[in-house]
Amino acid sequence: MAGKRAEAKEEPLNLLPVMNLVSILIPFLLMAAQFVTLAVIDSTLPAIGPPQEVETPPDKPPLMLSVAVTNEGFTVMGADAVLNPQGAPPSADAGPTVPCAERPCATPQSYDYKALTDLLNQIKDQYPDDETVILVPESRIPYEVLILLMDATREDVNKKDDKGKSRLLFPNVVIAGGAG
Amino acid sequence: MKKPRRGTVSEELNITSMMDMFTIILVFLLKSYSTEDISVAASAEMQLPLSTSAVKPKLAVNVVVSKVGVIVDGVPLMALTKKADESGREWIAVPDEEKKGQMITRLYDRLLEKAEQAKRIAEATASEEHAFKGEILMQCDKELPFSVIREVMYTAGQAQFSNFRFVVYSTTS
Repeated sequence: MAGKRAEAKEEPLNLLPVMNLVSILIPFLLMAAQFVTLAVIDSTLPAIGPPQEVETPPDKPPLMLSVAVTNEGFTVMGADAVLNPQGAPPSADAGPTVPCAERPCATPQSYDYKALTDLLNQIKDQYPDDETVILVPESRIPYEVLILLMDATREDVNKKDDKGKSRLLFPNVVIAGGAG
Repeated sequence: MKKPRRGTVSEELNITSMMDMFTIILVFLLKSYSTEDISVAASAEMQLPLSTSAVKPKLAVNVVVSKVGVIVDGVPLMALTKKADESGREWIAVPDEEKKGQMITRLYDRLLEKAEQAKRIAEATASEEHAFKGEILMQCDKELPFSVIREVMYTAGQAQFSNFRFVVYSTTS
């Protein structure tokens, strides 16, 4: 009797156990997946915040940078050496330092954050050691404007150093009571 | 000539395509997997603003101020109301009966309890890591007027929480 030659039979790969594993893993990972990233912005109260000791040359007045927010724009105060180099004080009817394109500012995105950041860059050039800014929003200003303002005062994302880090402007934010 | 035997032809289910799809989804979900100390329940009344900040949040007392109410550490505390100004426009505000001046009384009581509790834990553990630092996480809806934020911050300051951490959605990866 001729011996039957055992033929190598190709068995198809059994994917069912792998499918079981994947089917169980996917709902679990879906529950733990993070599609948005959370972050925080630090701030302190004016009365309890840590004092900033900045060594400034005696001929330079200390910077008490404040940014008031109204429904017409931003008003920058405390940096007269940059804002009013001629020494003339601003008139009461001068309006905001960085106004919105259309007043009153209709939405949080109507404010000119880029112009404010450019102005703060100039102030930072004169006061490189100062890192504190006081924000004074009006009562009706939406919270989103405050957050976007903190972004604009914290750093300039358009100016990066050799390592790709944005230029730090005034990262220490103090929120004052409000302008009204 | 032999005819092929008629019978039931069983073919195995081809799940190769489904395996491909599941593998790709699995890899994507593995990449998105993360464990965060805090969670945000996004809804129509509670939408965080976007920010370029990339600082990671750490666990602290969590105050959620939505358009309808205030929640402290997951426990609802009080409801907010709407007030009309001189022009007739309605603004979200804290009800007058909940306030004494700028201070929100119920929030002050709750936060003071939290502060005392944190100090007791700090004394019991006597470790620097668990020391009471007065940190508070603020999750606020982006359309809230600053007056509400100010009153919550003032109240928290009176209850010994002076380090505010505003929670935002980060636009930087």
